[in-house]
Amino acid sequence: MQTKTATVQRVEIKTQARLRTLLKDYYTGLDSAAADPARKVAWCTSVGPCEILTAFGFDLFFPENHGAMLGAKKLGHQYVPRAVGVGYSAETCSYMNSDIGAALAGYSPLREAYGIAGPPKPDLLVYSTNQCREVQDWWYFFGRRHDVPVMGLNPPVHLGEVTEDHMAFVRGRLVALIQQIETRFDLRLNWDRLREVVALSSRASSLWREVLETARSRPAPLTFFDGLIHMAPVIVMRGSQHAVDYYQELLSEMQERVRKGVAAVPGERFRVYWEGMPIWPKLRELSEKFLGLRTLIAASTYCNSWAFDEYDGGDPLTWMARTATAIFINRDEYTKEAFLLDMFRSFGVDGAIFHNARTCPNNTNSRFGMAQRLREGHDLPVLVIDGDLCDVRFFSTAQTMTNIEAFIEQLEERKR
Amino acid sequence: MSKRLFVGIDAGSSATKCVVLDEAARLVGKHVTASGFDFVEAAEAVLSRSLFEAESVREDVARCVSTGYGRSRVSLADRQVTEITCHARGAREWYPQVRSVIDIGGQDTKVIHVHTDGRMADYRMNSKCAAGTGTFLESIALKLGVPLREIDDLAMKCATDTVINSYCTVFAGTEVIERVKAGQPREDICMGLFRSIAARVLEMLASRSGPIAVTGGVVAHCRAMVRAIEETLETKVLLPPLPQHAGAYGAALLALGDCMGSTWGGQVAGRSGA
Repeated sequence: MQTKTATVQRVEIKTQARLRTLLKDYYTGLDSAAADPARKVAWCTSVGPCEILTAFGFDLFFPENHGAMLGAKKLGHQYVPRAVGVGYSAETCSYMNSDIGAALAGYSPLREAYGIAGPPKPDLLVYSTNQCREVQDWWYFFGRRHDVPVMGLNPPVHLGEVTEDHMAFVRGRLVALIQQIETRFDLRLNWDRLREVVALSSRASSLWREVLETARSRPAPLTFFDGLIHMAPVIVMRGSQHAVDYYQELLSEMQERVRKGVAAVPGERFRVYWEGMPIWPKLRELSEKFLGLRTLIAASTYCNSWAFDEYDGGDPLTWMARTATAIFINRDEYTKEAFLLDMFRSFGVDGAIFHNARTCPNNTNSRFGMAQRLREGHDLPVLVIDGDLCDVRFFSTAQTMTNIEAFIEQLEERKR
Repeated sequence: MSKRLFVGIDAGSSATKCVVLDEAARLVGKHVTASGFDFVEAAEAVLSRSLFEAESVREDVARCVSTGYGRSRVSLADRQVTEITCHARGAREWYPQVRSVIDIGGQDTKVIHVHTDGRMADYRMNSKCAAGTGTFLESIALKLGVPLREIDDLAMKCATDTVINSYCTVFAGTEVIERVKAGQPREDICMGLFRSIAARVLEMLASRSGPIAVTGGVVAHCRAMVRAIEETLETKVLLPPLPQHAGAYGAALLALGDCMGSTWGGQVAGRSGA
């Protein structure tokens, strides 16, 4: 419930200023790479084998990041119809549809954000279906459009235990990918460089995990909404020293905020977990709503999707195979449920919100009874809200906000 | 000596309701009007009429709680509470033994479960789609060119188990027209609409552990809705004396509870039973 005077002031995260510079340098660097015949650009899925591509010397672009930008700018639903017009279902991934639609319309948010014309023209497209099947056809679209090769990794999906056989299979596919790239581009992989890139990737990922874990403190120094802003480097530049340096600085700031008791949500009353995709076009409204309700989104599956295991310095392809296979989205319901319960306990949440993203079944975990099992089996208040990652036509602001307020009222009554 | 009154205003998507209670929790004024384009105007209108009925003036209002989709537009409100909490609160005041409340409103349907001590245990709302709501019925009534009251009268004469299968309001409209063209009796088609809504309610009623009350504008105006719910759930349900005002009543009780130092705390002494 809300009172007449529900205004809350936050202390901004200082490292964010550096993020803007870092991302501008990254995108202008990509633009230069695309214009330089001596450099090559590859597009890669967000949890794809980017370390191999970086070790080969490709500059990397991540279309999902572009899709999220279109969503955050509330433009996704404007471009989805263009993709639908060329045969892509409106019920499939709105990242894909808004990205394809924007390409067909000749629009990119990179123009206003970073002063570059748009996504860099690729020389190679590489996907991994460890996150979903949609990326494969998304990549094929751009492969045809740019007349460049598309290479894919298809790890076994929906796994419970990740076995040695699974790992060996995926490692074998990574070796095959390396051979394809070597043949197609007349390149030779520098294995020392791959080990170096994997070590940097692992280091950035570990630091990112530590950043997220500072939200276990009460009050927490950052929220899910902060995480969505600061996760960019671990996706788009995770095999670089830039990402490592950035997360070291961000971690220091978070640790300082913990020491000083700086709260991401001043007057934090409740802690909630966010399961599923962000609702990019509604982040500001949702962030302000939770701030007004003095409720912290303490942790999320989404931000943790890039918190990988440590690299021990051994075979880099084994680390990559494990990373590609063991991630949450690639696991079965039992494993996901166990992961969520562990997260709920370690972050001390009062309840969980599941986002039923209309066009993202693979990253929606409320469709096979999990929310009810957690609610009834673990006495945990759970709310399922309907929405979408990019397409606001699947989202009702009034209904969702009432749902969220009622959920907080439910939490209040539990504490009575 | 001035009075101390406690006001609940439920600014719903279709109708705005007001309930005024005195210090003994007696219902001394109430009113309902169409929300129309302007929640502020509708809230002012129901407040004025309710205070007139209570033979009181605005200065007598000690506290006001607003609820419903337009709750943030009620300038008089000291705080806003969702209609989920308010309907549960109102229904429990009428029926202390109630464990589930089904509220079928204009824009959405909610199922609210309450603990034996009155605290909200859990709730579900329908998905974004309008199917299963008052808007669904209004839309079909408009398509058929028949007033909602007449649809209810026809439905009550139904002697078959016809159900409209489509969830989507648009597709349901098409299905209704197909059945009309096929010569199916109007009574059966109309009852089928209410059964369609009841089927959506069943989806949201995950568990049942005690008496069920029904609230909202649809059950207030449509006997067939109550019948369809009872048929579908295979149990009798409790219909409060003022089902459409349940949210406003709950909001007024919360306003009174605020001044008594508790928002829940069980029954209010001296309640009138409305």
